[in-house]
Amino acid sequence: MTPGNNELWQQLGPYLDEVLDLPEEEREAWLAAFAERNPTHAASMRSLLEEHQALAARGFLEQNPFELPLHAPHAGQQAGAYTLLSQIGQGGMGSVWLAERNDGRFKRQAAIKFLNIQLGGRGEERFRREGNVLGQLNHPNIAELLDAGINSDRQAFLILEYVDGDHIDKYCDEHSLGVEERIRLFLDVLAAVAHAHANLIVHRDIKSSNVLVGKQGKAKLLDFGIAKWIEEEGRSGDTSMLTREGEMALTPTTASPEQMKGEPVTVATDVYMLGNLLYLLLTKQMPIGAGPHSSASLVYSIVFTEPPLMSAAALHSDWQRTLRGDLDTIAAKALKKAPAERYASVSAMADDLRRYLKHQPIAARPDSASYRAAKFVRRNRALVAIGSLAILAIFAGLIGTVTQARRANDERDFAWRQVARAEAISDLNSFVLSDAAPGGKPFTVSDLLGQAEQIVARQNGADSGSRVDLLVSIGRQYWSLDQDAKARRALEEAYKLSLGQAEPSPRASAACALASSLARAGEHPRAKALLAEGIGALPAGPQFVLDRIFCLLRSSEVARSEGGSRTAIARIEEAREVMRQSPFQSDLLQLRVSMDLAEAYRVAGQHREASEAFARASTLLASLGRDNTQTAGTLYNNWALALSQLGVPLEAEKIFRRAIEISSDGNDETAVSAMLMVNYARVLRELNRSTEAEGFAERAYTKALAANQVVVVNQTLLLRSAIYRERGKLEQASRMLNEVEPLLHRALPGGHIAFASIASERALIAEAFDDLSKAHEFANQALTVAQASVSAGGQGADYIPVLLFRRSKLNLLDHRAAGAVEDASKAVALLKRAVAPDSFSSNLGRAYLAAGRALSAQGKTDAAVEAIRLAVQHLEKALGPDHADTLAAKSLAAPAVKNQ
Amino acid sequence: MDRTDPTIALLIDAAEKGDASAAQGIFAELYSELHRLAKRELYRQGAASLGATTLLHEAYIDIASRSGPSFPDRARFMGYAARVMRGLIIDHARNRQAQKRGGLFELTALHTDVPEHAVNDRELTLISDALDELAKTDPPLAELVDLKFFCGFTFAEIATMHNLAERTIQRQWEKARIYLYRSIRSEL
Repeated sequence: MTPGNNELWQQLGPYLDEVLDLPEEEREAWLAAFAERNPTHAASMRSLLEEHQALAARGFLEQNPFELPLHAPHAGQQAGAYTLLSQIGQGGMGSVWLAERNDGRFKRQAAIKFLNIQLGGRGEERFRREGNVLGQLNHPNIAELLDAGINSDRQAFLILEYVDGDHIDKYCDEHSLGVEERIRLFLDVLAAVAHAHANLIVHRDIKSSNVLVGKQGKAKLLDFGIAKWIEEEGRSGDTSMLTREGEMALTPTTASPEQMKGEPVTVATDVYMLGNLLYLLLTKQMPIGAGPHSSASLVYSIVFTEPPLMSAAALHSDWQRTLRGDLDTIAAKALKKAPAERYASVSAMADDLRRYLKHQPIAARPDSASYRAAKFVRRNRALVAIGSLAILAIFAGLIGTVTQARRANDERDFAWRQVARAEAISDLNSFVLSDAAPGGKPFTVSDLLGQAEQIVARQNGADSGSRVDLLVSIGRQYWSLDQDAKARRALEEAYKLSLGQAEPSPRASAACALASSLARAGEHPRAKALLAEGIGALPAGPQFVLDRIFCLLRSSEVARSEGGSRTAIARIEEAREVMRQSPFQSDLLQLRVSMDLAEAYRVAGQHREASEAFARASTLLASLGRDNTQTAGTLYNNWALALSQLGVPLEAEKIFRRAIEISSDGNDETAVSAMLMVNYARVLRELNRSTEAEGFAERAYTKALAANQVVVVNQTLLLRSAIYRERGKLEQASRMLNEVEPLLHRALPGGHIAFASIASERALIAEAFDDLSKAHEFANQALTVAQASVSAGGQGADYIPVLLFRRSKLNLLDHRAAGAVEDASKAVALLKRAVAPDSFSSNLGRAYLAAGRALSAQGKTDAAVEAIRLAVQHLEKALGPDHADTLAAKSLAAPAVKNQ
Repeated sequence: MDRTDPTIALLIDAAEKGDASAAQGIFAELYSELHRLAKRELYRQGAASLGATTLLHEAYIDIASRSGPSFPDRARFMGYAARVMRGLIIDHARNRQAQKRGGLFELTALHTDVPEHAVNDRELTLISDALDELAKTDPPLAELVDLKFFCGFTFAEIATMHNLAERTIQRQWEKARIYLYRSIRSEL
């Protein structure tokens, strides 16, 4: 029955009244009786009742009553220290009011702009912070932001310098300004935007109504950075609805092609909008032509249609003549559909306009067909080669704009270069991650890296500064692909080149990147010296924020590889603090830092914190649409590692699978990193899938050996030892340990947790050989090493309980029940602290199992039964009901219960 | 505004005598009346939001006090007014939807002046359409949903309004809920 079938609804209605009137427990009986008297409708009635219960459980239509929108400001209302006088505007963002501050001694007028957003919690904090950033924009052509505030009903508002004037286009027309006068006025607008760009702020909503010209003829740009802010907040709304119903309701005519396409907004967006404004000022028309436009045609013409030349659009023939030539070329260059083809900076556009005014030749070239074609090929080749580099690296990497900017020396251009660098990488990232990654599997990345290296080598013309950047980028890419030798080669070369550089940025990034690569090979002293050199090269000041964060992250990597896990966490938190205080906002950078922080927690053995941090980073990644990328692969790998160390291998296995699927192509494992394979092998072993585990571990070993990945080679040897031991191949297991020990001594500082692991494996092998005294010796050694490592701030906190329950078992074999109970209880206590309440852990299960056995040997049956009950619970949940350990615990549970 | 007061009373009178176009008229008159009252409340209270229930109470007192003794009783008035209230809410939701769709480049994407609620704007519109259907066959049931869901009256208030047992109101509400869910589920 559906309501479309109203007859049936009418028929059933009375029955429904009848049964809904009954108490819950009597309805079943009523239904049974109803089936007797009315078999035709019995099924329908039953499903109606079931639906009723489901809807009640869901709380369908039971939310809070609605409230009517009344958040409109009104005259006389207070906003901060100001009193609203009268409404002077109503825009997309909200209403604008003229307001007055009167503290008795002097009066001051200001414009108050209410934003159509309401803030809660973190939004509020961010709003205040961004308000501060915007407040720092002091420029004669930018309307000053005096303050930002939030009303008692959480409505955000900005207090701005009040400009009593007209929109720039109206002003020009009313004062009958000529072409040159208009350009001079427009140059003031360019100066304002360039100033903002130098402070890392993009306007993204430049239009005539945002440029006011006051009575003295001075242009003032309004609303800096506010648009970005609102747009981002707005995105938190229901975007699924947006895509589903995709039609466009509102159609501002000044949007750029990239905004129409939902692509990243960059400084080039401002250049486009300035082109729009210039076009309007000189032709009195918008480049898209006179309206009205339908939504579809507007989108189409902004994205695809080349606007007519200004000279063709101008209304008067004498203006047409003036505009033909250079001015046409300048506007066309600013209005290019592809952001990369526009003026690389606002200053470059201003330079050309000034040259025009001085009758000098301009830099922009009019397009000819052959020129365009040549450029297309060049541009695409660069994208293919460099694009691949941008997958993981955020800082290093560059395009043409950077090369140009390097030649300039003054500080504004320097800041601009930092923006261009970041923007370029972010653009390339989105290109690569959205377009290239799903189709081009990672082995292609490796190919492309080789290609990129060759291009750099042949690039004789490029200046060495940009070659350093490019080499650092390539080196970091190799590093993240675990291709250590190649990474080192590229980074050593970058470092050598950087020594001749006057600028601190390339020197710092090359030194720090090389340091991290050396640390992986165990060369810690030189790594630390390089870090000191790199960080020391950076002067204080916000321009070097990105390089400073880069170096802090690298020094965290160095600390981590040396076993200094607390230092590693501290460095990343320092980086996060630097990032928080900088005006630079980047989702990618935030992602990178949060991934690294999660990883540092994991290495420090704080797996719960790590898992949570990984889950958060994974959400961030997915929200950036990048959950099928190498970055995601790395994140999943590390997350799964934390989960397996947290003792939930079943969960970990799933996440590892996702990581492997990203980089494998069907059955082809070529692109799967050996590190990932050994990690996966470890979790398979834990899950008792030992044949598969052995296979993965051996393949990972071969792969790591061929690529000379020392760390992975060592790990595979350790893991294979454990697998062979468990499969009864004790000789083979021993051989692995003998092979790995000298390698580890070469790669790691003495006292590293890995040596505890070797000792423990030796203990287990001795135990299997029934050599209990030797086993004891090794087990004690393992614990000593681990405890020393932890108290020195190194890794191993998570490993100590494992060593304890292993020794507990050994004590029991040796008939030392008291020692066994003590070890097992300590292990349980430590693990309980690490495992969240209400969650399950294989290690905690094993610790309980050891405790149960030991207690039972002491004759403490009640306590033993309880411990074994908990062991079964944890092992069943964490490892599954059929796992050998689970079965062992269960078999103990049965007789223990019988004995009672 | 005084002219609207007797108009509403007259229109209700005519509608109840079977004048179909009068029903349309009531909607239009009440709609603008509620708008006006909402604005007035805003200035009276400062910038706060206003619950639908409060607004309807205000409206009744306001209109009834100016219309004289012939004005319909509270229950009848609320029946009409609740329907209009739903119209206000739905229009607002549609408006908000339209703005969201344009959010890509019109930067005013969000109007969060209606608090976040469990039911999204699209679902709201579907429910409203289904209610219009229900009103054709079972007007009291549709009115109940307007009062309860859209205007936020409690079961007890509605029971008092109609002089019925609270239990009865609740049972009818449950029935209406099943009906509405069945009407919209294929489009959810």
